[in-house]
Amino acid sequence: MNLPKIENLRFIGIIVVAMLVFFYFILGFSGMMAALGIILLFIAPIYLILDNFELRQDEKIVFSFFLGVGIFPSLVYWPATIISFRISILITFIVLLIVAYLVRKFHKKNNN
Amino acid sequence: MKIKRNYVQAGIFIIVYLFALYMWTLPFQDNKTPYGEWDAISHWELGDFIAQRDSTFVYLPSFLDYSYGGDNNYKPHTLWYHPPFHTDFAIISAFSGDRMVPIFLTNAIFASAILISVFFVINRLFGFLPAILSSFMLTFSMRDILPYLWGQWPERFAYAFIPLILYCFYMYYTTYSKEKSKPIYLYMMSFLLVINAFIHPLVFFHSVIGIFVLGIALAIKQRKIPFNLKHVGLSLLIFLVLFAIFPYQTGNVIVSFTKSSTPEESKHSVISRLLQWSPNPQDFVGSVPPSYFSFERMIGYWGFLEDNKLQGINADSPLFKRLSVNITNLLFIFLVIGIAVLLIRRENRDIFILAWLISLYLVLHRDLIGKFTFLHRSLSATAHIFFPIIVIGALSIFSLIKMPKIYRSFLKYGVAILIVAFTLIYNFPTAHSTLDNAYNSPFLRLNPAQIEVSEWLKDNIPEDINVSVIGTPVDISQKVWWMASYSHRVSIFFEGFFIWSNDDEETKAKTARQHLLNDYVVFDYTDIALLSDRSFVERWLAFEQQNLGNHTLLYNKDNIRVYHYEPS
Repeated sequence: MNLPKIENLRFIGIIVVAMLVFFYFILGFSGMMAALGIILLFIAPIYLILDNFELRQDEKIVFSFFLGVGIFPSLVYWPATIISFRISILITFIVLLIVAYLVRKFHKKNNN
Repeated sequence: MKIKRNYVQAGIFIIVYLFALYMWTLPFQDNKTPYGEWDAISHWELGDFIAQRDSTFVYLPSFLDYSYGGDNNYKPHTLWYHPPFHTDFAIISAFSGDRMVPIFLTNAIFASAILISVFFVINRLFGFLPAILSSFMLTFSMRDILPYLWGQWPERFAYAFIPLILYCFYMYYTTYSKEKSKPIYLYMMSFLLVINAFIHPLVFFHSVIGIFVLGIALAIKQRKIPFNLKHVGLSLLIFLVLFAIFPYQTGNVIVSFTKSSTPEESKHSVISRLLQWSPNPQDFVGSVPPSYFSFERMIGYWGFLEDNKLQGINADSPLFKRLSVNITNLLFIFLVIGIAVLLIRRENRDIFILAWLISLYLVLHRDLIGKFTFLHRSLSATAHIFFPIIVIGALSIFSLIKMPKIYRSFLKYGVAILIVAFTLIYNFPTAHSTLDNAYNSPFLRLNPAQIEVSEWLKDNIPEDINVSVIGTPVDISQKVWWMASYSHRVSIFFEGFFIWSNDDEETKAKTARQHLLNDYVVFDYTDIALLSDRSFVERWLAFEQQNLGNHTLLYNKDNIRVYHYEPS
């Protein structure tokens, strides 16, 4: 099963919106926000990193979730012992996006 | 407009998974109050405390230290689990700005993640139809639903990693050649193994045994052992570096695993245990119900015999009793056919499934080498491998008979429809009613008044001061622990000990004095008011008047009063 590429934003967008609406209806606003948090914080940053490797689309999606739930909190935990937990979440998110950008740049450079 | 087949398949999986989540969130769709046994309380409060306090911690706060201060064998008074699992809850709770739903929903997604990993792996190895059917059947797996409800949260999620870890190892192994290889799978396996250990060490050991068995099986099948020093070295380095990130918890895993304890002697003969799939229910009385060990009750019963006849078959034959399964059960028949098909065909993908099954068998029989700890919990991984094999068995039936391809294809889809129908007829009702009725008694969940006073305690009294809750019947004392959890306050005397205690009068009086000294005292009449015996309320009212009448009343709302007891 070859899933649509991340570039197919319309399809991805429809799926995400449908999921958020579903959670809103069964669990209310906080349920919807929780689902959004999982997609945005755990899945998206790791997906952007894995997207640079030779993996199938379904592998990237599934592994980004299972890796994200381990990597993201591990990075948040230690700084949050001294700074605000919420700020640590934000910093971790930004750091992972920068890592994804750097990996992409490094890969492009190596491929050229 | 032509819709791509892959999009349709992705859509079907999303519908199945959302349906599963609808089912698994039933316990908190209408009543958004925390629930669960003692384990659930500890997991919820760890995540909630971090989010509410806006910081993580190394040393346990007072209310956690009282209960779990000794649980880390390497560094007491620190977290006994690796932090990521509960930090995940805290992250989502902080992001969503709510204390209950985000944590319980994240847990429901984690606990049902086995549907995702089984779908993914079976889809890659056997195709869409077996994958979606396995995932669909897992939605109603009582062996997963019950521990999920009881509160064995990290363990449920950790099991979802096993098929993915084995898949990464399998992909690296089967695609390896000296000219070209895919080390990315080996590196991802290292990451997944560490995260698996962070979430639940017991399951991590299960994964390691799985890799070992799969490695041996593939080495025999392929007659090659892929070994690249660079790949293996880097993969080991990833594992070791990540494993060292949380030294106290990793130390706890190592100390707990290597602790010199005399191995327990098995109560059953080796032969008897080897022939038995599951541990003996009698060895776990009081821990889990006997039905937890039954194939019919947990995996399902697709048959036409009435319950009493079904019991009769089990009782009549020692062999069936040992198998603890009814051989007229279609699910059991499909399982046997599935195993037979895998054994006869022995393609790489079949070896994968068989190695996964064998590793579970080995883990389930570790009592033979004296390792009894949490033996019954490993049984909860059974459905993850049984359902795919059952589906493979059912879908393979007509491929064993010679017939035109079109008929075979037609019959295969017919069987698939039958699997869906039988799952809905036989497995769905039990799963639905269990989830829908879970913890729906007013005695099992905090009521709004108890939540309000817990919030008040959190905001108005010092963090390390004892709070005593008086009035909750001892039978529902876990509710008091939920109040301790919700208020983040020490629960050293949080118990309805007084009236129900068997102690003599002198001991009772002494306990009461110690109990009140320096405490904040909560008189909660909300639960005992619901009991038919009015005398409980009257006795507590008299006790309150006599002992607390001269002390400062701080809170008085909805039949709950909070006093600050100041010894004169």
